[in-house]
Amino acid sequence: MAFTEILGYGFIQRALVAGTLIAVLCSVLGVFLVLRRLSLIGDGLAHVTFGSVALALFLRVNPLFVTVAAIPLVLLSSLGILRLTDRARLYGDAAIGIVSSLGIASGVLLASVAGGFNIDLFSYLFGNILAVSTVDLLVAGALFLFVVLVVSLFYHDLFAITFDEELAESSGINTGAINTLLVLVTALSVVLAMKVVGIMLVSSLLIIPAVSALQVAHGFRSAILLSALFAAGAVVAGIFGSIALNLPAGASIVAANFLVLAAVFLCRKLRPHA
Amino acid sequence: MGRTVLVILLLLALVAGCSREAGKPAGGGRLTVVTTMFPLYDFCRAIGGDRVDVSLLLPPGVEPHSFEPRPEDILRISRAGLFIYTNRYMEPWAVDILKGAGGAATLPVDAGAGVAYLSEEEEHGGEEEHGGEHGHGHGGMDPHIWLSPANARIMVDNILAAMVKQDPANREFYGKNAAAYREKLARLDEEFRTGLAGCRTRVFLHGGHFAFGYLAQRYGLHYVSAYGLSANAEPTPGRMAELVRTMKREGLRYIFYEELFSPKTADTIARETGATLLKLHGIHNLTREELAGGATYLSLMEQNLRNLEAGLSCR
Amino acid sequence: MPLDLVTVEGLSFSYNAAQVLRDVSFRVGSGDYLGIVGPNGSGKSTLVKAVLGLVRPDGGKVTVFGAPPEQFREWHRVGYLPQRLKFFNPAFPATVEEIVRLGLLGGKRFPKRRSAGDDEAVERTLGYMGIAEIRRKLIGELSGGQQQRTLLARALVSEPQLLILDEPTTALDPETRENFYQLLHHINGEHGTTIVLVTHDTWSIGRYASRFLYVDKRIVFDGTFDAFCQSEEMTTFFGEHAQHAICHQH
Repeated sequence: MAFTEILGYGFIQRALVAGTLIAVLCSVLGVFLVLRRLSLIGDGLAHVTFGSVALALFLRVNPLFVTVAAIPLVLLSSLGILRLTDRARLYGDAAIGIVSSLGIASGVLLASVAGGFNIDLFSYLFGNILAVSTVDLLVAGALFLFVVLVVSLFYHDLFAITFDEELAESSGINTGAINTLLVLVTALSVVLAMKVVGIMLVSSLLIIPAVSALQVAHGFRSAILLSALFAAGAVVAGIFGSIALNLPAGASIVAANFLVLAAVFLCRKLRPHA
Repeated sequence: MGRTVLVILLLLALVAGCSREAGKPAGGGRLTVVTTMFPLYDFCRAIGGDRVDVSLLLPPGVEPHSFEPRPEDILRISRAGLFIYTNRYMEPWAVDILKGAGGAATLPVDAGAGVAYLSEEEEHGGEEEHGGEHGHGHGGMDPHIWLSPANARIMVDNILAAMVKQDPANREFYGKNAAAYREKLARLDEEFRTGLAGCRTRVFLHGGHFAFGYLAQRYGLHYVSAYGLSANAEPTPGRMAELVRTMKREGLRYIFYEELFSPKTADTIARETGATLLKLHGIHNLTREELAGGATYLSLMEQNLRNLEAGLSCR
Repeated sequence: MPLDLVTVEGLSFSYNAAQVLRDVSFRVGSGDYLGIVGPNGSGKSTLVKAVLGLVRPDGGKVTVFGAPPEQFREWHRVGYLPQRLKFFNPAFPATVEEIVRLGLLGGKRFPKRRSAGDDEAVERTLGYMGIAEIRRKLIGELSGGQQQRTLLARALVSEPQLLILDEPTTALDPETRENFYQLLHHINGEHGTTIVLVTHDTWSIGRYASRFLYVDKRIVFDGTFDAFCQSEEMTTFFGEHAQHAICHQH
């Protein structure tokens, strides 16, 4: 099977484009999330989406609009996570765990009460990078622009808060509002990106490229740029690898991400200490 | 201490007595039958009519490959007169339950007993090298026997025998219904045979998992599916490209998608080739709407036939 | 009469049902070098946080440049060096320069853009604090003293009129500590920057501050060092030996 021949297929091209767009937006958000110990928010919100979609189906929403119908509840849950870290004085990971468990349990309970869903929930919930439609591509593009815009406009505030929240507050930054913004943008990104490429990819793209970048970045701006670069590179390498080795595309991208991390980590270890 | 033992013994006797009651139609009670999947449910209804109480374990819309019975389900099974499952490849959990919790009075029925099973290797013999994406979750045998009317007749016979055994009083009634249903199945078989005789192509492509092996074999069709026997492993880019090439090479203008799952994969291939989507219902289970609309095995198979005729450009 | 940069009246604050501050009142005038001392847990940090609007008092009034902290908008006029960063992560990927630049955020409105004036200010401050050579180093690669200087640079880069420091020298060795105090003295003397310094170190207060507050959940003393040493009330409160020890380090 000629490599160049496969690249000619529309679904591969869409996979590359959508994959790269989503990789960049996730990995950029990921830098902030990882540094604030909210790495698992991707997984957590996926569970919440499951519960929200369950609720939407329970209320007999048309399966086509189910993802859209679930968004408000996911946004609310993300605010819930934020609230828990503030009020209950929990670390982010515990707050995520609570909301996440609640999401999955609600989904299971609703499914049971409803006597089963009318369709296979997972296949409608989780996308597949090789099945990206034109609509999916547009969604990815719009989401990418949105996230890039938000991060650019609020870059300094986000940086300040990520560095030290109290210090940021003392500079007159409305930390509550900025935190809310970050969490809501993340929630929206998770729900939509998940629909395009699936949760495994979204979750890993939120965490791994950021961690890789943090190993070698020589500044905050540099961390963000490197994270995006590593993520985009992993998507391309992953897809090419999956073509060459006949492996599933999504998992190959995750593996590529991991390989980047391993390589970066080794480089750091082998470099003589400055 | 002695008193406690006595109480426990009494309770056990009570429970044992109750379970002996279960299932046997005593006086005005009907034979209770628990079935795992829709085709079995439908066959039982056809044979038993209003003299049996048939229930379906799978809730509407739930697909069976990942189904796991709840305690309540197991309880229902143990109280039934008949527990009918498709075969041990489709419901491996059924075999496990029967080892453990099957009530003494419940007669388990392997509906597929006596069917000539096809193994994965036999079915994929004519295809190109894949490199093993096809899931081996079913122990290597294709469990989707009910999609060939010929196999359906064998299943009906097995069910009839079991019903007669548990409820000999209604032997004639069941016998008559089964004969009538067998007639209908024979007619269906004939319709398929003639309908699929003169088609422009004998190849059809399905975006779901590999369920139509027996149907394809019976009517001499060549069948390719995106997924393996269970719809879990994602197709690789290579596989997707291969499917697209097959479509183009065979000049296929239609591609089929399955019930209950999102038709993403079929959609992607359709987009790549300009093909039209048609549904090929695997009849594992029905949606609420389909159940409410009175769909049956026969009606769904008829619809499948019509779609196949369209997709393969027959007549 | 010069404008009071900070006024505090009748401030009270409780935390988990324990009273941390009770009826605290004082003023900070322009050009003051005010020390705030007191034992551990005496509420010193809470006091400055209330001034900065980081905590809400249960009772009393606070103003910063004449306005309550919640309504105050010109935070670039105030520089703050906290006792320690809440979750200090030594692997945090920020350079000295990036952190110093953060100090300019207080004077910006949405959308916060970088201006040429910013670059100049950062350059100037880096030079002033003697950290220009390490501008590209990550904060985790710095020594304690360098980190402190970086955070102080961040507090100074907006050329604030009021500088609030909370126990800035606890982690520093004596020589570094001395340099730090020299620097503060210079800032206060040469530039007229008002300084509020929370510290354990009564001795340094004696050397540099023009005035100090002794806080132990309430104001025990508010005045000059000399007044402290001559006060009989203080002799009674601290005991003769303690007072003597504090005063004669001067």
